[in-house]
Amino acid sequence: MKNLLSLACALFPARFSALVPALLFGGACTGAHAQTPANNPMPDGSRDLYLGLGLVSQNAYQGGAERRLRALPLVQLEWSNGVFIAGMSAGMHLSQRPGLEYGPLLALQVKRSGDGNGASLGDVSSASASEQALPGVLRRQGSGANALLGMDKIKARVQAGVFANYYLTPTLRLTNNVLYGAGNQRDGLLWNVALQHTAPDLTAHHRITYSAGVTLVNRRHNASFFGVTDSEALASGHGAYAPRGGVQDVNLGARWNWAISPDWIVTSGARVTRLQGDARHSPLVQRPTSFSMSSGLAYRF
Amino acid sequence: MRSLAPFSAFIALLLTAGPGTAQVSEGQWVSYRDAYRMMVAFEKYGKGKHFIQNHFQVMPKDKNLAPDGLQLSLQGNNISLNLPLDATGRTVFPLLKSAYDENAALVLNRKVDQHVFRSRISIVVRPDGVYEAHDLRTACEQALAYQRSVEGSPRGGRCAGVRFVFARGTQDPGVRLRKGEGDALTTVDGPAFPGDAYQLYRVVNFRFAAASDNSHVVTQNAPLAINPIVE
Repeated sequence: MKNLLSLACALFPARFSALVPALLFGGACTGAHAQTPANNPMPDGSRDLYLGLGLVSQNAYQGGAERRLRALPLVQLEWSNGVFIAGMSAGMHLSQRPGLEYGPLLALQVKRSGDGNGASLGDVSSASASEQALPGVLRRQGSGANALLGMDKIKARVQAGVFANYYLTPTLRLTNNVLYGAGNQRDGLLWNVALQHTAPDLTAHHRITYSAGVTLVNRRHNASFFGVTDSEALASGHGAYAPRGGVQDVNLGARWNWAISPDWIVTSGARVTRLQGDARHSPLVQRPTSFSMSSGLAYRF
Repeated sequence: MRSLAPFSAFIALLLTAGPGTAQVSEGQWVSYRDAYRMMVAFEKYGKGKHFIQNHFQVMPKDKNLAPDGLQLSLQGNNISLNLPLDATGRTVFPLLKSAYDENAALVLNRKVDQHVFRSRISIVVRPDGVYEAHDLRTACEQALAYQRSVEGSPRGGRCAGVRFVFARGTQDPGVRLRKGEGDALTTVDGPAFPGDAYQLYRVVNFRFAAASDNSHVVTQNAPLAINPIVE
């Protein structure tokens, strides 16, 4: 699910790389949810909109062995008043101070069913926004046993929280996203903190951003996504498992944006995530390390 | 069929998007929107700035190339505006909502990958050529405060002086401390702005430590630019 968001938000770093990075640090999207644009002033009443389509290859769910190739719409919209929509996140910039970004944040947590994250082809069980936004499965790779069979479906949830980013240097920023509301009980709490570095002055139309982050969660979040209840144990054959909270994963990411014209941009990214702690030892986890690759084309309106 | 829905929607979207930005040569443009966001920061800056100004600069990355012959223009479907560059590669940047909204492009007559685009803060040149040292110090501090603000992070250094920049080949720019037969300040070759690759401008450094606050710097010839020296 995180990978879906990371692709959808991929447009943010598409800034004017030849310009002084100190003054234009679009930032990259490495957080699990909050893909926040930098504080970029624009004329009153104006907006900046990207729409496009991309492909992402990722694990069917975090910890799963099966890989999937999906098509994804790309959406990023900023208004001059600070409100933004980025993929399945939305929020508002409240900071007036350069170098500091903060504000409220909403993010959609896609559902997880026995088939993995998001809606699969033909699944019409839900009409949530996430499923409407998610395309069908184009192709599946691998045929390992699905560890989610027999597990309860985790419903899509709107999470609410805050984001706060601080620029340590003009090309290095510390990002924080705190979101609450994941899981069937709506009590999952997640904090993603990351360091993002933008390669300065690569070329005029290319921008590369690297990131390293860690995700911390409360016990209920881990229990929702990596725990096995007694009833699920009976249905799935897994042993009951009650993970504690703590560090859920660590991740590395890179994103490359290529502005091929004033109107068109190609955005590509890769991300490696390794589960940690109790999440890693969950019986649902077939591969603690997941890898995703994405690429897409978007039009700037 | 469902898997094709996103592609179909995307194609439909493009068809309704209308014509894009005016045709620009490959590799010779930069985004006006991105430049706007960089340049508008100075307009929105609310602290003291009456001694300083902001320009958009285009400079070659090749240290052997001056910005001579560069031509910059703003091109969109409904706008075409020439942006003349001075001898240091700078121009006054037009902050136009109409150009922003139509996603116009800044078009250079050379490959943009071989050039650097920056916002450049400088000290306002006085028509009478007489600068009080105290004013120059204030101007330098205004420039430093602005840079710290836009970078958003603590920036080390302090104002040590200002740099008068003259055209290359200028033998005696005529920068003197005090009026009349005052001491002529040393002229050397150097860059117009910190970080510029081309370093054959004639520059005169005036250091605050070398004069009292009530002294004057007098220039016989108008400099191309006056920049803060932060050390």
